[in-house]
Amino acid sequence: MSAAPKRRPFDAGSAAYLALNLLLVAFLLAPIAIVVVFALNPTPYISFPPVGVSLRWFQKFFAGSDFMNALALSLWVALCVLVLSVVIGGACALALARGRLPGRTFLTAFFMSPLMLPAILTGLALFQSYLLAGIGRPVWGLIMAHTLVAVPYVLRTTLAVLHNFDHRIEEAAAALGASPTRVFFEVTLPLIRPGVFAGGVFAFIVSFDQFPVSLFLVMPKNETLPVVLFNYMKFDLDGAIAAASMVSILLALSVVLALERLIGLKAYVKL
Amino acid sequence: MSFGVDRSIDLRHDAEPMTVVSHRPSPIAWLIAPAVLLFVLFFVLPFGVMAVMSVYSGNPVTNPNAFLTTRHYERFIFDTAGIFHDSLWATLRIGLVTTVVSLLIGYPLAHWMARMQSRLGHALALMAVIAPLLTGIVVRTFAWMTILQDKGVINTTLIGLGLIQKPLPLMYNEFGTVVALVHIYVPFMVLTLIGVIGRIDERLEQAARSLGAGRLRAFVEVTLPLSLPGILAGSLLVFALAISAYVTPSLMGGTDVLTLPMLIAQQVGTSFNPNFAGALGVILLAVCLVIVIAYNRILAQLSGEQLA
Repeated sequence: MSAAPKRRPFDAGSAAYLALNLLLVAFLLAPIAIVVVFALNPTPYISFPPVGVSLRWFQKFFAGSDFMNALALSLWVALCVLVLSVVIGGACALALARGRLPGRTFLTAFFMSPLMLPAILTGLALFQSYLLAGIGRPVWGLIMAHTLVAVPYVLRTTLAVLHNFDHRIEEAAAALGASPTRVFFEVTLPLIRPGVFAGGVFAFIVSFDQFPVSLFLVMPKNETLPVVLFNYMKFDLDGAIAAASMVSILLALSVVLALERLIGLKAYVKL
Repeated sequence: MSFGVDRSIDLRHDAEPMTVVSHRPSPIAWLIAPAVLLFVLFFVLPFGVMAVMSVYSGNPVTNPNAFLTTRHYERFIFDTAGIFHDSLWATLRIGLVTTVVSLLIGYPLAHWMARMQSRLGHALALMAVIAPLLTGIVVRTFAWMTILQDKGVINTTLIGLGLIQKPLPLMYNEFGTVVALVHIYVPFMVLTLIGVIGRIDERLEQAARSLGAGRLRAFVEVTLPLSLPGILAGSLLVFALAISAYVTPSLMGGTDVLTLPMLIAQQVGTSFNPNFAGALGVILLAVCLVIVIAYNRILAQLSGEQLA
């Protein structure tokens, strides 16, 4: 913060600017709010304005075996992806930040690149590889595919934390006689923990909501929740989808709050 | 960027700052191994397989008669059915419109947030931007379907108010596709721009204004030109994401819209022609790679300027 904040006098220009931006924020949030409305609205089809509040769609969602199988698969895959990507991505971030590797910039860009390339192509490429290898479409193949696109998130959050903390803490520990292993376990690891956790939370949500990578890699009758919802939506738009969406939104909301607590959302304002 | 720079207590480090010897990889570097293994097996190799598949007539492992051919690319280039070029066009057009609209919406929002004094306000606005980002694409597309369909929020409201008789065609066309795509990708634009605008010294604008420029002129002649790299980077990112979207165009576009990713899914799902799908994939990948490389160049330049 440089000079003392200057309070601008109220005028029409500033008011219009504020109104415009509040409108844009509303544009961002309105669709999410509307999903909540439809999830609670009891009419058989999507209709507006809502006529009441009921939990029948949540009942339909939680009672439907297709939905529940898909939810179970999605949660299982997301959990595996969380563990794998935290271990692989966390280790990779440490190597990049502390390993004195040549070509770090290139390597970092390389490990971030699954975020930049079309996810549907990652799915297609893996589908073709599994086809050539003759292994069919196993669940572990789906987990590895999700891990690949989740690792960049863990990498980003962990690197952000490693980037921010003071090297001299590690140096001080070393100067006081701690072995490199001890410095790592007692200083470095606790310090980067929030970044790794935040990355894990991100990885979970990326996998849970993943569609394009999953599209070609799921078996019929054993699909993840987003794929089941997508297929359902092609023919039918009712409150069950809204209820399923609410579950996913609540999950996302808790993630945002968790991220804010863990490392602060500001870490994401740099790409 | 300063991470990764060797800062160990090493006297030689100061004496000979340019030597490579003191920058030899430390044992920690081995921690990169699992990531390398994952990326080689599940990223580099598969994309290689996709390229190989695109020049074969069939599955080269199981079919002994499969031969090398350029016919999948020829099929796309000569386009006798007349759908592939249209589809490429539609993909690029939707991508372009989505990018422009995202910029028009994202810029004011990013500028507002970058200049916001209140910490709470900033945190709340940031949550509003990131929350949609963390909601799945399928869910967000569903939300737009409930808003834009014939019996959706907008049409029912307008009919209820007596403003229109018949529902407006807001969905199952390019319009609906673009609206939903903008909503889905505008957070990426905002996040890229906040960083860039935040780095512009606010005093430059204040100086222009104290020299007599109006607020608009100070913005157009000072802040806007300085944020040009951010505009370019954000636009490239949104464009690359929009042209590879599958869920939104296939749900919002109806029979009106056929984009390249939809064509790819068709080839895998209904036509079961993974080889032609591979060729289409290589074409889409080529377009995206050009954009991504340009994006990285701009960002690298940006952080370079920051160091200088």
